[in-house]
Amino acid sequence: MLTLSSLSPAELRHRMSIDGLRFQTGAFVACVTSPISHVADGLERLYGDYPLRDKHDFVDFYLNLVPVGGLRRWFKPQVQFDHDGLRPFQPLPHDQAFSMFEWALNWCVSGRAHSYLIIHAAVVEKNGRAAILPAPPGSGKSTLCAALVSRGWRLLSDELTLIRIQDGQVVPSPRPISLKNGSIELIGRYAPGTVFSRPVADTAKGTIAHMRPPADSVRRAQETAQPGWIVFPRYVANAAPALIPLPRARAFLKIAENAFNYSLLGAAGFKAVGDLVEATDIFDFSYSALDDAVAVFEQLAGLGA
Amino acid sequence: MWRLTPGQALASHGWDGEYVLYNDLSGDTHLLTGMAFRILRQVQASPSTIVMLAQSCGADEGEIESLLADLELLALVEYCPC
Repeated sequence: MLTLSSLSPAELRHRMSIDGLRFQTGAFVACVTSPISHVADGLERLYGDYPLRDKHDFVDFYLNLVPVGGLRRWFKPQVQFDHDGLRPFQPLPHDQAFSMFEWALNWCVSGRAHSYLIIHAAVVEKNGRAAILPAPPGSGKSTLCAALVSRGWRLLSDELTLIRIQDGQVVPSPRPISLKNGSIELIGRYAPGTVFSRPVADTAKGTIAHMRPPADSVRRAQETAQPGWIVFPRYVANAAPALIPLPRARAFLKIAENAFNYSLLGAAGFKAVGDLVEATDIFDFSYSALDDAVAVFEQLAGLGA
Repeated sequence: MWRLTPGQALASHGWDGEYVLYNDLSGDTHLLTGMAFRILRQVQASPSTIVMLAQSCGADEGEIESLLADLELLALVEYCPC
């Protein structure tokens, strides 16, 4: 199976400028078209292990990242996401084009993939069981996810947990992990050798960089996992790690609040969340040190601290 | 007599004395106490008066009346003059 890394830089850019670069990301095939070098650079750096698809394969999502026209071609050039003629995002500076690609693909999945319950959550796996980490921005979800992945947990997703409606399995969608501000340097120190995209400063979220997903997680993207735990993480400065069981009915509501398509799925969404709550142990988790947090997850997975 | 609002199926999950319930008419999800859920099950089985509900649920009539008013606002039960 050919991967993106088998393409020369020139071939990758050629595909992106003609028919689109098609590749598999977990359950989905994306087709990306863009003349903007930042997009090609990011894909080259972080998506090398993803399987290529050819121009006859079915595509789930077409993503065109196009330069904004007019004076913007010369003065502080901007990029815009075009999806089947829709332009749902505000334009951004060119150097944020790769981040825009990531956000755009998340937007496509969360808005269209309704054969899944889609929870705004990171999800990692060990020994066949998945730990789901729903949390609002600023909770340290992605930092914790990156730390766990760097210590041997399989990345299923940093942002979108996909629960298959028909059987409740977690379907992987491993993609680069989005890190912000101090977390970039923190994970760089915690996991030396980690590959990041070029950090982009002055975004709406501060400085952003994406972490390349482990090759093993990408290679195993078709292996589903059984939900094992739901952990609502919260970074609290100088706090000792504390794992507190959460009443299930309350947890149900928190999960529903964090699901993009819970209301849209109606009774099927209610059943999916109910089955998920039945199948998992559920906790609130506060932590400050990554090593402590990883040790708690190792204990959860039954591996000893 | 109070009855379950037609169209409600009472899809629910219960844990540790708390219940979540899917409202088939609004699409909302409600968090209910055990007592509220018992009332719903009772009126689903057969339309009931406040006195009947108070007896079967082991509560006083004032509490039942208050809970019925809440459940009526959610379109889970309705009063029928039958």
